[in-house]
Amino acid sequence: MRQLRSTLASWEGFLLAVLVLIYLVNALNSAVFLTVGNQINMFQLSVEKIIVALVMTFVIINGEIDLSVASVMGLAACAFGWLVQAGVPGAAAVAIALAIGFLCGAFNAFFIVWFGIPSLVVTLATMIAFRGFARILVEDRGISDFPAWFDRLGQGGFIGPVPFAMVLFAVLAVLAYLLLQRTAFGRKVYFIGANRAVAEYSGLDVKMVKAKIFIASGVVSALAGLLFAARVGAVRGDIASGFELDVITMVLLGGVSIFGGAGTMSGTILAILIVLSMRNGMALQNITGHIQTGVLGVLLILSVMVPIIRETGSRMLARTR
Amino acid sequence: MTPVLVMRDISKSFGGTTALSAFSLTLEPGRIHALVGENGAGKSTLIKTMTGIYQPDSGEIVIDDRPVTFRGTADAQRAGVAAIYQEPMVFPDLSVAENIFISHQDRPKLINWTTMNDEAAAMIARLGVTLDPRRAAAELTLAEQQTVEIARAISLNVRVLIMDEPSASLSDHEVKRLFGIARALRDQGVAVLYISHRLEEIFALADTVTVMRDGKHISTRPVQEVTQASMIAEMVGRDMAGRFAREPSRDTGERLLNVSNLSRSGAFHDVSFHVNRGEIVCFSGLVGARRTDVGLALFGVEPADSGLVELGGQAVVIANPKQAQALGIAYVSEDRRKLGLAMTEGIAANITLPMLGKYAGAFGWLDRMRELADATAFRKQLNIKAANLTVPVGTLSGGNQQKVMLAKWLNTKPRLLIVDEPTRGIDVGAKAEVHQILRSLAAEGVAVVIISSDLPEVLSLADRVLVMREGRIVGEFAGDAATDEAVMRLAVAAEVA
Repeated sequence: MRQLRSTLASWEGFLLAVLVLIYLVNALNSAVFLTVGNQINMFQLSVEKIIVALVMTFVIINGEIDLSVASVMGLAACAFGWLVQAGVPGAAAVAIALAIGFLCGAFNAFFIVWFGIPSLVVTLATMIAFRGFARILVEDRGISDFPAWFDRLGQGGFIGPVPFAMVLFAVLAVLAYLLLQRTAFGRKVYFIGANRAVAEYSGLDVKMVKAKIFIASGVVSALAGLLFAARVGAVRGDIASGFELDVITMVLLGGVSIFGGAGTMSGTILAILIVLSMRNGMALQNITGHIQTGVLGVLLILSVMVPIIRETGSRMLARTR
Repeated sequence: MTPVLVMRDISKSFGGTTALSAFSLTLEPGRIHALVGENGAGKSTLIKTMTGIYQPDSGEIVIDDRPVTFRGTADAQRAGVAAIYQEPMVFPDLSVAENIFISHQDRPKLINWTTMNDEAAAMIARLGVTLDPRRAAAELTLAEQQTVEIARAISLNVRVLIMDEPSASLSDHEVKRLFGIARALRDQGVAVLYISHRLEEIFALADTVTVMRDGKHISTRPVQEVTQASMIAEMVGRDMAGRFAREPSRDTGERLLNVSNLSRSGAFHDVSFHVNRGEIVCFSGLVGARRTDVGLALFGVEPADSGLVELGGQAVVIANPKQAQALGIAYVSEDRRKLGLAMTEGIAANITLPMLGKYAGAFGWLDRMRELADATAFRKQLNIKAANLTVPVGTLSGGNQQKVMLAKWLNTKPRLLIVDEPTRGIDVGAKAEVHQILRSLAAEGVAVVIISSDLPEVLSLADRVLVMREGRIVGEFAGDAATDEAVMRLAVAAEVA
C-alpha cells in the first residue's frame, strides 16, 4: 500500500494516472481509438520526434539544451536527398547523412565543451546555420525519387503491420532507459547535471560525457531525419522545421528538470505517450491542430507548475511546524 | 551621549547551534566601535541581525530609544543602518552615480543626469576622496567600489555603518584611505562598527573595542585600556571543560607527503611542510589565510605554479582531481552544498561517485547491489542516520551530510586525506563522532591533513599545528605544545606581548 502511494506521489505515477485517464476518455469517445491501425498511426505521425526526445532527455538531465536537433534532422534528410539525386547509392547516402549528424553534434560539442559557451547560444546559432545548409542543398524544389527499399522502410509494415521506425523507437527506448538508469554513464549524466563542480571534484570526465551526449544527439537526430524522409517519401529545405520545441516539450512534461540533474527516462516515455494519445484523441473528435497545440502548451505550463506548487506547499507546512 | 543603536540581549540560534546568546551592544554617534572575535564567534550573525537579514529569536533592537523590528534590509536601511563587506556589492555595468542612487526609488521617474552626477560627487567629497561619478563601476578598483558602497549608504542618511572586514583585500595604501573615510564619517556623527581580524588596525582606528566569543559578549572597553595580549586572551579564553580530550599520536614517523616551496601566484607562497603516515597535521589560521588554496592545489583543482610535491618519496604532478585521486589523495571540501555532494541525488550514489569504475561491469552496467552493500557498510561504520540509502542527501542533517562526504572519500581508500573544516555547522554530538572517525583513520595509517578554523578542534586533534597567515606558513607547533593564545597570536600577526 505504501509502495503504491509513493509510486503515485512520484511524477511518473502522476503521469501514468493521466495517461490511463486519457486512454479511458478516448476509448469511450471513439470506437476507433483502440484499434491497432489507429494506435500505429498515432505513433507513426510523430515517431521521429519521439526518437529525438529520448536523446534530448540525456541532454537536459545533463544540464544542457540542444535546439539544433530539428535542423540536423533537416540537414541529414536534405543531404540524403541531394546525394541520391546526384547518383550516390542509397546505402552510402544514408551513411554520409549519419556522418553529417555526427559532425553537427561534434561541432556543437566543440564550442560548448571546450570553449564553455552556453549550449543555448551555440545550438541556437547552429539551429540557424544547419537549417541554412539544408536549404542551400535542396532549396524549395523537393526531391522524391528515393530507392524503393528506402521508401518501404518508412511506409510499410516491418514486423507485421508495425513500421520499421516504431520498432526502432521501441529498441532505442529500452536502450536509452538502461543506459540512463542502470549504467555508470547514466549516473555521470545525472551528477554532472545536478552539480558540475561536485562531478569535477569527484574526478568525473565531465567534458567527455558532455561531448558524447551532443554527438549522440547529432547522430540520432540525423537518423530521425532520414526516417522522416522515408516516411513522407520526399525532402525539402524546411523539412522538420520547428520540431525541436515539440521534442523539448515532451521531455519537460516528462518531469525532466530544465536545470538538470533530475528526471527519468520512464517519465519522458510516459509524457510521449500522453502527448501522442491526447493529440490523437482530439483529432478523432475533429478538434483542429491549432487547438491541440494550445492544449499542449497549457499542459506544459501545468507540468512545470505542479512540482513548484507542491514544494512551496511542503515548505510552508514545514514553517508552520 | 545618547546611543543611536542598542542591541539588548539578542539571541539567535540555528537548529541546535546557538550563534548569539543574550548579546548586547551599544553604538554611539561619532564613535568608531571595533568588534573582534574568532572565526565562528557570531560576528556575521550579529551583522545580519542588525541589518534585518536575520530576525532575532529574542531580545530587542532599539534605535533612538524606540524598539524596532527589521523585517528585511530595506527596514534597516530606512532606519539608517547599512553594512559594507569585504567584497563590495556594486552593479558593474552602472556608473558610480547610478550605483550611489540605486536605492532612491522615491525620486521622480525622469533622471536629471547633471544633478545626479553633482550630488554623487558631493557624497564622495564628504568621504574626503575624489572619484569621477560617470565612471562605470566595473572599471574601479576594489577599494573604489567600497567607496561607492559607502557613498550609497551616506546618500541614504546612514547613521550606523557596519564595516565587515573591509580591509581584508586592500593594499596598505588603500587601507589608509579607508581609515580616512571611516574617520570622516565619525566626525560627521556616524556610528561606525568596524570588524577586523587585524588587531593593529583596531588600535589605529577604534575608540571602543568589544570582544565576543561563542555568541556571547565578553567585554567592551575604551581602546586605551586594552592590549593585543588581553584581546587575544579574551577572544580564545574558554572553559577547559568545553575542550575535547587529546589522544596519543599514531604518527608512524614514515613520511608520506613532502611539500617544498609550493606557490600559486595571488594565493600562497613558499609553502613547505610534510605529513607522515598516521599523523594528523592541522592548518590553523584566520579565514582568508589561503589554507584552502593549499588543499585545492594538492588535490589538483587549482594546481600550484611552482614548488615540489613528493608522495611516498616520488615527485608527483597533480593537474586535476582525477590524477590526485589516482595517487591516493582525497579532499573533503568545506562547502558541502557547492563542492561536496549533489544534494538532489541519493546517499549511496553520492558515496560511490568517485569510484564508479569499481562498480561498473560490461557496457558500464552498474552493480547496484555492490554499491548498496558498500554504502551500507559506511552507514554502519560512520553511524549515518537516514531512512534509507536512496533518499536525496539534501534531506539529511548537516552532520550526516558530513559523514556521507567522508564516506565518499574513504571509499577511494586514500593514503592522504585532506579535510577542510571537518565539523563546520554540525552539532556537538556529530562533531565528536567526526573527530573519532578522523582519529581512527590516522590509526589505520592514513596521513590526515585538517584545515580548521575551530581552535579547540585543532588543539584536540593535531599531532602538529601549522599556522598560516596571508598565504604563508608562519609557525609550527607540536600538537601538545600548542595553545590557543600562541596559535592565535601568530594567526593575527600580533607581536609577542
